[in-house]
Amino acid sequence: MSHSTVPRSRTEAKTPEKTPATDPERPAGDKGGKRAGKLSLRLRFRRDRTLILMTLPALLLVLVFNYIPILGNVVAFQDYDPYLSENGFVAIFESPWIGFEQFERIFADSAFWHAVRNTFVLFFLQLVLYFPVPIMLALLINSVVRPRVRAIAQAIMYLPHFFSWVLVVTVFMQIFGGAGIIAQTLREHGYEGFDLMTNPEVFKYLVTAETIWKDAGWGIIVFLAALSAVSNDLYEAAAMDGAGRWRRMWHITLPALRPVIALLLVLRVGDALTVGFEQLLLQRQAVGVAASEVLDTYVWWNGIRNQDFSYAAAAGLIKGVVGLALVLTANKVAHLMGEQGVYKK
Amino acid sequence: MTPNAASGPSRRKFLASTAVATAAVAGGMPLLSACGGGGKDDRKEGTTSGKDAQKILPAFVASNVVTPDIPAKNGSAAGFTKAIPTAELKTSVPKKLGSGGKLSVMAPFWGTPPKGDNPYYTAMNAATGVEVAWQNQDGVTYDQKLGAVLASSDIPDVVVVPGWNLNGRIPSAVNAKFADLGPYLSGDKVKDYPNLAAVPTEAWQRGIFGGVLRAVPMPAPYVTDIAPLYRRDLFEKKGYSVPKSPEEFLSWAKEATDARSKLWACDDMKWTAFNIFGVLSGSDKALWWNLEGDKLVNRIETDEYLEALEWTRKLYAAEVVHPDAVQGKAGGTPGNRLTAGEILVYNQNISDWWGKTAEQRTQNPDFDIAAFDIFGADGGDPTLWAVQPANIFTFVSKKAGKQQIKDFLALCNYCAAPYGTKEFMLTAYGVEGTDYDLKSGLPVKTQQGVNEVNGAFDYTGNPAPYIAYPDLPEVTRGMVEWQQRMGAFTKKSSFFGLTVTEPTRWANLADDFEQLEDDVVRGRKKISDVQQAVSDWKEKGGDGLRDWYRKLLDDNGGNGSTN
Amino acid sequence: MSAVLDTQADDTTADDTPATRKPSPWAAPPRPVWEEEPSKAGQAGKGLVLTLACLGIVFPLWIVVVTSLQSKKAIDEAGGLVVIPKGITFVAYQELLSGGQVQRAALVSIGVTVVGTLFSMAVSVLSAYGLSRSGSLGHRWLLMALLTTMFFGAGLIPTYLLVQALGLTDTYLALILPSAVSVFNILVLRAFFMNISQELIDSARIDGAGDWRILWKIVMPLSRAVLAVIALFYAVGYWSAWFNASIYLTDQDMMPLQNVMIQLVQKQERPVGLSAQVNTGELSALAIQMAVMVMALLPVAVLSPFVQRHFKKGMLTGAVKG
Repeated sequence: MSHSTVPRSRTEAKTPEKTPATDPERPAGDKGGKRAGKLSLRLRFRRDRTLILMTLPALLLVLVFNYIPILGNVVAFQDYDPYLSENGFVAIFESPWIGFEQFERIFADSAFWHAVRNTFVLFFLQLVLYFPVPIMLALLINSVVRPRVRAIAQAIMYLPHFFSWVLVVTVFMQIFGGAGIIAQTLREHGYEGFDLMTNPEVFKYLVTAETIWKDAGWGIIVFLAALSAVSNDLYEAAAMDGAGRWRRMWHITLPALRPVIALLLVLRVGDALTVGFEQLLLQRQAVGVAASEVLDTYVWWNGIRNQDFSYAAAAGLIKGVVGLALVLTANKVAHLMGEQGVYKK
Repeated sequence: MTPNAASGPSRRKFLASTAVATAAVAGGMPLLSACGGGGKDDRKEGTTSGKDAQKILPAFVASNVVTPDIPAKNGSAAGFTKAIPTAELKTSVPKKLGSGGKLSVMAPFWGTPPKGDNPYYTAMNAATGVEVAWQNQDGVTYDQKLGAVLASSDIPDVVVVPGWNLNGRIPSAVNAKFADLGPYLSGDKVKDYPNLAAVPTEAWQRGIFGGVLRAVPMPAPYVTDIAPLYRRDLFEKKGYSVPKSPEEFLSWAKEATDARSKLWACDDMKWTAFNIFGVLSGSDKALWWNLEGDKLVNRIETDEYLEALEWTRKLYAAEVVHPDAVQGKAGGTPGNRLTAGEILVYNQNISDWWGKTAEQRTQNPDFDIAAFDIFGADGGDPTLWAVQPANIFTFVSKKAGKQQIKDFLALCNYCAAPYGTKEFMLTAYGVEGTDYDLKSGLPVKTQQGVNEVNGAFDYTGNPAPYIAYPDLPEVTRGMVEWQQRMGAFTKKSSFFGLTVTEPTRWANLADDFEQLEDDVVRGRKKISDVQQAVSDWKEKGGDGLRDWYRKLLDDNGGNGSTN
Repeated sequence: MSAVLDTQADDTTADDTPATRKPSPWAAPPRPVWEEEPSKAGQAGKGLVLTLACLGIVFPLWIVVVTSLQSKKAIDEAGGLVVIPKGITFVAYQELLSGGQVQRAALVSIGVTVVGTLFSMAVSVLSAYGLSRSGSLGHRWLLMALLTTMFFGAGLIPTYLLVQALGLTDTYLALILPSAVSVFNILVLRAFFMNISQELIDSARIDGAGDWRILWKIVMPLSRAVLAVIALFYAVGYWSAWFNASIYLTDQDMMPLQNVMIQLVQKQERPVGLSAQVNTGELSALAIQMAVMVMALLPVAVLSPFVQRHFKKGMLTGAVKG
């Protein structure tokens, strides 16, 4: 390990942080940004060229494997038939342009708006009921001091993430369904059975419960990584100052998690229009379309399933624009609250 | 919070599982397999029948190589109940027709494809004279792969397209990318391939796409493939007799259901209800229409449709339907509930009769399953509507050379050999001694055979519909006779046997009806909602579609009643 | 004296004490003097919540494992998943492993996962560091360029045509390159990198270290936990991916494990009627499915201790922050 350098650097870092400013090739953290604005482009390039070079491989991959095929989304403004020509790519140039017809078709459909409503309801429900669970679980696990107990609990909690949705739904059905363990036990004792799985009223809670069961345990992993970065010294110092268990959590642990929480929250908001596609499609018949249709299933049913490429592309563009707008807004809010978010201006 | 994995792959995984579900009921409940639209180009839409079709269709020359124990009647399959000793096997392909050329074949595959150089493939290649390079694609993602491959300029020589994948723009691709087989098969030319000449004409007619004979079809019986299956052993044990009318069924179901002991009378019976009440077939969109008097009527507009839904709703409301069936797709397969004895009746593709019997034979010797006869709405004879006589198609790429097309047809001719021939035995069972052994006269696949003779040559040519389970002669007889009895009540609707490509703008118009049906029978929506949806449907293009179909009928003459 | 040296000193003294030479992993390590005695109620509550959470997972897991070990008869009688086992049989696992396909496919999967994860990590760590300094030239534009791809996807046809045009179909690169970059992972890495004490980096710079050296010598060693997490995310992604293989590969012998598993499940529940073959023996399709599920969980069980090693509380990372 290279920690031998660490103490030395740290002591030296006590020296005034302004030092690097004298050297244009060495920016000094956040503050360097503002000052850098005054530097000429050429100097900034010279200073940051290594950083840019480091970003290039990822950029190149994204350019080739994301941006080039994304260009294919122009078919949203067409009545695209990939088989008009020898090659589906050439067919883009031969398919008729129809302007915003696909978009009009989507916006004019009341089922679309219904799906959007369901999507947001589920999103908010999951934001409130699901999002905090991994954080709390991570705090709980983190407070367990016995190494073996901790390791076992952690390993168990990861597992459900690797269950397929089909299996998750089946397992829930076996327990809470109309012929499930609970209902059947009730009947055997002369009570009425019940069926949680096919009740449209409770469906949104069912979906949230399934999501928590499947993914909350896996979700703790990032938070645990963040927690492992918190120094024991901080706790010790706080304890010396008389801070109790809860105060230490409030003043040390949570602040350490804040940047990660903020980042994940911002990204989740940007992804608000995506709620459990496979999970919902599976249970479509069980509770009906009215309760289970969300944006992704709507697009699947009306576009992808029929290989209606133009329609699917148009829906994808709408979703993308909304998602991007949401993430930028959420990011702004995060800034106002003093968080880094995805990126800082 | 599933980074990396993101939602993409999991979504695809799901698409996949639905695809298999669709396949699992192939021909069973293929309402999912909407008939798609073609391009704006008028030549690609519509259908071809009547005189135009006569010029294209291959001549029919019945095969008399082997006489079935139960000959086909009323649209049923032919039944073969006995195993034929190797020495008595006939020869239907006396001369190898293939030129030894190579063919790449893309086909869906459910299972683990064997290695390419296995004894079965080698023997088949040698016998047919065609070197097949299989591109067996995961049946689960086949529709997506198909869409992508057809959009590229690199298409395999031969491509299999199941009917349930013929949606969206795929019909347009079929017309654009696949060759005309007419010059090799039309009229008497088919006589070069005697086994293909014995394929029923109505199956060939389904192979006409865009006015041209493009596909070698996989023939199927036209009698409804959805049978109401029941546990005959449990019925006998409890002293039940099979219900004879909708009312009788309902009252029997109430009596038989005992939720406390985890027993429900039936599973979802919607598809049987459609048959009981004489609703036009829901399998292929063109079959939804029928000329009644002077007007084309769609199944969703009929009283029978509403009556069938209402009766099914009563079953659900009476809580005689297994709760897992209420869940639908996520609830698991009804067949498992039947074998577990949690339900007594369900409806499924009739092949389950044999499938469940064979599966349970060693485990549960008492298990006995059978299909009961579909009764009419008034307890009398039912009115049934024919389903399409072929639903899986095999095409040749336009880029294929003449010799390649001939090789393809040679391959199809070989695989279309009827039961009782050497060719059939090789195609269906593989190499004797390697892939199967004869045990007390019956062919039984070895482990190697199970792994190798595994569905690859399923789509490259098939004889007229047959049922041949020599190990279960009673089941064979039961199935064929059920088809014949039901066939006697089966009528053909106006567009029976035709492959119709609806205009794209209307192709998905009626897609939501299936889920509306599911909502209604489960009591989440009302019959009046269906009526509302029907009037919406008319406005949004249903009436336009009616005119369009009417024009087809006037231009082509439809199937007529003589077909 | 610096905090780092303090902790190190603590560790050494603890290890040297004879009584605690080798503490049982079940036992709680000695509590630091400054920490108060935990309350009985708090302990009990914590234990209860943890136990319930784990039981809620273990019970379904039990059903899955038990069902994978049941005969067809037992599964047929239960009508589905089995809760109480009736005998045990390994036919499902035998069937999975008998063809030799699974073993070969497992090698393919391991190869793709290892190479893919290394490649993805290299690309992601570099770009996360490259983007971690606010104010660097063009960093906002680059970030936006990456972020946008999270929201706009491409259809299957353009992607397929591209992969084909690049000549990647029927190569393993098709399983790695198109999915090599996860922007989500880059953003998480970046967030952690940015959280590292700036003073530390600045002082290293004063010592003459360039960005490569800072990344290698300071940032990466201090980010072991998050690096482990992201590597796990990538590895799990590569391991469980199957769609790309089913679209881009035609050669059966190249198929990775997930695809072969799916095929094996399908083989058991092949649509009746398409092929005249049905399973009559001991083997139930459901048992195969569950066995596949169990085998999917195995790598997690194998990997998670490796990841957890990096989660030790209060590692040096934090020490330099204060």
